[in-house]
Amino acid sequence: HHGGRATRIFHTGQPRLAPLPPLPEYGGKVHLGLIPEEFFQFLYPKTGVTGPYMLGIGLILYFLSKELYVITPETFSTISIVGLLVYVIKKYGTSIGEFIDNLNEQIIAQLEEVKKASIKQIQDEIELEKAQQAQVQKCHYLSDVQRNSIAMALEVIYQERLHKVYKEVKNHLDYHISVQNMMHRKEQEHMIIWVEKHVVQSISAQQEKEMIAKCIADLQLLEKKAQAQPVM
Amino acid sequence: MTSVMPVKEKKLMDVKLGELPSWILMRNFTPKGIVGAFQRGYYRFYNKYINVKKGSIAGINMVPAAYVLFSYCLSYKELKHQRRHKFH
Repeated sequence: HHGGRATRIFHTGQPRLAPLPPLPEYGGKVHLGLIPEEFFQFLYPKTGVTGPYMLGIGLILYFLSKELYVITPETFSTISIVGLLVYVIKKYGTSIGEFIDNLNEQIIAQLEEVKKASIKQIQDEIELEKAQQAQVQKCHYLSDVQRNSIAMALEVIYQERLHKVYKEVKNHLDYHISVQNMMHRKEQEHMIIWVEKHVVQSISAQQEKEMIAKCIADLQLLEKKAQAQPVM
Repeated sequence: MTSVMPVKEKKLMDVKLGELPSWILMRNFTPKGIVGAFQRGYYRFYNKYINVKKGSIAGINMVPAAYVLFSYCLSYKELKHQRRHKFH
């Protein structure tokens, strides 16, 4: 009953978010510019192809004979006007149709241009975004270098501080060692002096005189020996 | 409104001849229904013959033809007096 074409539903249900289906190319077929094809298809099974035309001729004759259609002076003007219209339409119909189609296509082409320009612009922006993303990806090399240098600086500082700590500790230990050495030396010197002092003290006066006498005796002996020597 | 259901709400072409009165009575005769009927009829014609890419002359031809027929039917009463024959 719909002539084989899809029905178009308007404003039922939710609004569609996709583009509408495109317009159909051609309208419903008509015979003689007036009568839709459906009527001919309706009569085709019973009467074949010529059925509706016969029906039309029969109806016209019936109306004329029964004078349900009255032939008035207007009939002749109707016939002339209709004849003229048919002639004009048959002659210039297609060209006018093409002209209007061209106008339509120009408008559609303009809209297409706008659509294509906007799509192209958005695609260019997408490309730009991708390039920038790629660049940002490469940035990690730079940050790698920086990270390396910072790590090296940290290492250097750590080693320096380690060395400083070592030196400080060594300093402390050296101090203790030198203090010990000095104490040792001082004790030794002190002890030597003390021992000498006591030894000197322990030599009494008596012993000192005896020693001196002995030394003088020895010296005299030696002197004699020495005098005796060169004479020989 | 013309959904194909097992109830008697079928389309006009599927209604049998005997069911026709009950089918006509079943239609929606509220103002909204009548307006809806006119809208549906209009959009059926519009979408079939005018709202296409390459429309033919038939789309704009059927309207004057229907008007001619309609006005002839209205003015038949006056035209009856211009008949040529007396007996048909």
